[in-house]
Amino acid sequence: MSTQEQASYVAVCSECDVDLQTDEPNEIAAFQRRHYRVTGHDVKLERAELNLEEEVTGSDLKGVVRQLEEQYENGVPIGVVAAVMNERGLTIGETLDKIHEVRMTGGLYEPRDDYLGAF
Amino acid sequence: MTQWERAQTKPVSPNITDRSNALPAKYFTEPEIFEMEKEKVFGQYWTYAGHANSIPEPGQFFTRTVGNHTLILVRTDDGDIRGVENFSARDGEPIVDETPMSDPGYVDPDELADLECVRVDSIGPLVFVNLADDPMPLSEQAGVMKDRLEALPLGEYEHACRIVSEVECNWKVFASNYSECDHCQANHQDWIKGISLDESELEVNDYHWVLHYTHEEDVEDEMRIHDEHEAQFHYLWPNFTVNMYGTADGYGTYIIDPIDTDRFQLIADYYFRDSDLSEEEREFIRTSRQLQEEDFELVERQWDGLKTGALAQAQLGPNEHTVHKFHRLAQDAYDS
Repeated sequence: MSTQEQASYVAVCSECDVDLQTDEPNEIAAFQRRHYRVTGHDVKLERAELNLEEEVTGSDLKGVVRQLEEQYENGVPIGVVAAVMNERGLTIGETLDKIHEVRMTGGLYEPRDDYLGAF
Repeated sequence: MTQWERAQTKPVSPNITDRSNALPAKYFTEPEIFEMEKEKVFGQYWTYAGHANSIPEPGQFFTRTVGNHTLILVRTDDGDIRGVENFSARDGEPIVDETPMSDPGYVDPDELADLECVRVDSIGPLVFVNLADDPMPLSEQAGVMKDRLEALPLGEYEHACRIVSEVECNWKVFASNYSECDHCQANHQDWIKGISLDESELEVNDYHWVLHYTHEEDVEDEMRIHDEHEAQFHYLWPNFTVNMYGTADGYGTYIIDPIDTDRFQLIADYYFRDSDLSEEEREFIRTSRQLQEEDFELVERQWDGLKTGALAQAQLGPNEHTVHKFHRLAQDAYDS
């Protein structure tokens, strides 16, 4: 079995042919930020094994965070939110932008860095 | 990132007694300063612990970390609130797990009987602790703030919401930002529409300052806990604020709690007539939250700049009396 098959999360930039394989969901957000800052490219989430106790049914960002909050203590990892929103058609970069937008209107907050809560 | 050559930067003044001189930047950026603050700031002055209404029953408690000390605030059988160190002399282990005020626990008060006590005092339902052996009275530190707040029915209001945010910035940068509104025109463009800044007033007391703002459109008296036709934002040194809003029948508090040199937690609590939020109250908190986010973005940018070492000592603007007061109190504490 390859390393890529073992990692829970795989994010790739097809333009640069680089990827990140990790079991830590927030590393995909850090990878996106780093890569976008240097190249201007958005990276895509190729695989995400979320292993959630309950399926997330919400469609909008705030609703998704609110549902996920029930499964995480002290905030939902931003990478998990990005993975769920990826299933709804948003790239990692689009999700991070949307998180900032909703935070600035008071709907989301960070109980700790890169972990989200909904209000 | 370009790092400035520190030898080329120097404070504009050896001290901050001049009105326009800010606290030298090293007091924000050097890690050992934070260790000193634990003793000389948070070990010396009255620090807000929490709200008495959250522990109404005997045996109910919450914990609070101040400096290097974790404390238990517990309601005793005779109705008082007692503060003890959360530390077993026998094995050095904590007596209880960390328990926030917003989710208090129960303990048998007899189990805490032998623990070392800390001083506890209050302003209405607002409970404060002091770790010093011989502190100034809370009434002296709070000054006129104590009389003003005790004239209001703060205890009749219930805790409705707590939002805790971790911010990448030294706690004093946010405290300074809270203490002035020169940034409001540019940074809070939605909120500023309802505020008459020309009629705002900065009131500076010994350890407490108030920013008074008048709303452009008057609101009904039922919308306010206080009679004044204004919002009042009280800051009590070192890290506590009481926010008396002009447009909501409720009040809020902030605790600006340092985590380390580079991070703090903003603990925002909101109190209304009923702990179940109405849609208007929920919307009100969203607006408050929006202001916090706008400030977080601003102070995190300031912090990024401060860390470069390019600025050894900032110059304060002509309206920043309250910021100057804050910086002087910090300097006084460091020099003590």
